[in-house]
Amino acid sequence: MNSILRFFVIGIVLALIVTIWDGFFILPEGQQAVVTQFGAPVGNPVVDAGLHLKTPFVQDVALFSKKIMIWDGDPNQIPTKDKTFVYIDVTARWRISDALRFLQAVNNEIRAQTILDDIIDSSARDLVNKNDLVEIIRSSDWVPGESSKDAELEDKITLGRDKMEDMILKTASQATPKYGIELVDVMFKRVNYIEKVSLKVYQRMISERKRIAAEKRSFGEGQKAEILGKVQRELKLVTSEATQKAQQIRGEADAEATKIYADAYSKDPEFYAFMKTLESYETTFGKNTKLVISSDSEFYKYINKLK
Amino acid sequence: MTNQDQPPQWGKKKGPASPEEFIAAFLKKLKESFEGGGSKFGGGNGNPSGGDGVPPGLGGALSKILIVVVALVVVNALSASFYTIEPGERGVVMRLGKFQKITQSGLNFKVPLLDTLYKVDVETVRKEEFGFRTRVPGQKTVYDKRGYQTESLMLTGDKNVIDVAWIVQYKVRDPLKFLIKVADPRQAVRDVSEKAIRQVVGNQDFDYALQNREVIETRTTLDLQKTLDIYESGIKIVTVKLQDVNPPEAVKPAFNEVNEADQDMKRLVNEAEETYNKVIPKAKGSAKQTIEEAYGYAIERTNLAKGEVARFLNILKEYSGAKEVTRRRMYLETMEKILPEVDSIYMLDESQKSILPFFDISKSGKQGMPVK
Repeated sequence: MNSILRFFVIGIVLALIVTIWDGFFILPEGQQAVVTQFGAPVGNPVVDAGLHLKTPFVQDVALFSKKIMIWDGDPNQIPTKDKTFVYIDVTARWRISDALRFLQAVNNEIRAQTILDDIIDSSARDLVNKNDLVEIIRSSDWVPGESSKDAELEDKITLGRDKMEDMILKTASQATPKYGIELVDVMFKRVNYIEKVSLKVYQRMISERKRIAAEKRSFGEGQKAEILGKVQRELKLVTSEATQKAQQIRGEADAEATKIYADAYSKDPEFYAFMKTLESYETTFGKNTKLVISSDSEFYKYINKLK
Repeated sequence: MTNQDQPPQWGKKKGPASPEEFIAAFLKKLKESFEGGGSKFGGGNGNPSGGDGVPPGLGGALSKILIVVVALVVVNALSASFYTIEPGERGVVMRLGKFQKITQSGLNFKVPLLDTLYKVDVETVRKEEFGFRTRVPGQKTVYDKRGYQTESLMLTGDKNVIDVAWIVQYKVRDPLKFLIKVADPRQAVRDVSEKAIRQVVGNQDFDYALQNREVIETRTTLDLQKTLDIYESGIKIVTVKLQDVNPPEAVKPAFNEVNEADQDMKRLVNEAEETYNKVIPKAKGSAKQTIEEAYGYAIERTNLAKGEVARFLNILKEYSGAKEVTRRRMYLETMEKILPEVDSIYMLDESQKSILPFFDISKSGKQGMPVK
């Protein structure tokens, strides 16, 4: 009898423990909970972490994350407005803003991803399709000329990627609240050309480089020619200047010499002529000379006389 | 994530055994004591254990076992109440799921069963690689670059493609936020990094991006930190470092050609300057030579003139005294000097009206007959 009572007591204690235990639930940080009674939600979602009460056995608790979660779309092949095909990889951060609605409309995170696929992909596709490629590449605060040189020939930016991301976020955010989802941001993670386009782009880049290379070589040739020309110019300049100066010096000297000669020789021009003539005989007559001299000449006249 | 089970999930618990386990253990012990008691006391007369007749000694045995169990639980709880936080770690303590406190490194106490502890490393710098992966870390690290093109290829502001590999280093600044704010902090860092660097590079022309690594690094760090702060991720970006910034593989040869052309250009200019240096200084020297020679000529010329004039004047002075004699003397002296030098001399008699008729003077002196 005593032992049966003991059994009974133990059973009651156990039941009590289980009941009390089931009357509480612990909500960890970073999570939120919806209390449901036979599947139907009761009251507002619980968002503060800690110990909470619920009716034992009758009520269930569904826990949802409060954290920021990642949605990563499939890379999409989308043509831009200027007919360039690009792969766009869009990613988004989202969180469950209304756990109750989320429970009713979505139920779990995997389904949420699918819903976001539909919502974000379509708005991203629309927006990319309506804009030029540069809008996706450059930021809204892109300033021409700062880090890019061909400012005036380049297309102007009307939106830029941040504004486009904002627009996708806004469009998509209109659809998400009914699922209890809040989008934190949407971003273009990757934008790349599709393979066919990138081959063309590479070809263009190669031709650009070749152009630059040719320009450099040609510039070098030009520089070389210029310097060689300069060499000639300076050479002529230096030489002619020197010749000019030398001639001048010589001329002055000649003039002075002439003056000296004239001053002296004019004292007896006839004698000068005589003397100079004799001197020039000395220098001009030589081995190549055949001299025919009259026997009347001053030099031979005595020979005749002796005959 | 759904969890309809009761009791609620306790997450990644590192503390003592959870209540369920505790109860399960307790029940098991209880059951064992019953079975054990049954077999011990009822086994002799062949009755099946449990059920109807409970042996008299069961109460005492049960209480003994209970004491042991309680003692075990107490010891277990006590040992689980103290924990060590390593240097560079922080302990985040949740009491019944709610954030309680952050504990520093050293020995710490927590309430058993109620408190849950999460250890977060806040000192280690975590690293994310983009566009490559370290395959074998070590002194000579081996990198793997293939297959990560989707990460590393990005578009520049002038619609070109550039290949950028980079790393992001970060650490945990706020362990609590790190735990509870973002579902997958690592993936968040990766995604935002890729977005931030593409945005920065997209604002730059290809050539600029190729040469301004620091600018890209600084701006990416700022953008990345800003976005992670918006998420309240509790992450601090330590650094963003670019590894390789290259043209895409297919375009590289063309880039090398530009470098070659650049070298060619410099070479051509150098060659021309070499010619300049060879010619011009020499020409300048020659020019000076010409001028110096001219000066030399000038001095010589005047000096000669002066000398000649002096001689002439002296001769003239003497000549004036005996004109006729001097003239004759000078004439004869000159003839003396000249005549031995000349090739041949023909003397012509004045009485003969013409030159000797049979004498061909056009012939050379050796054939001709000298007239003497």
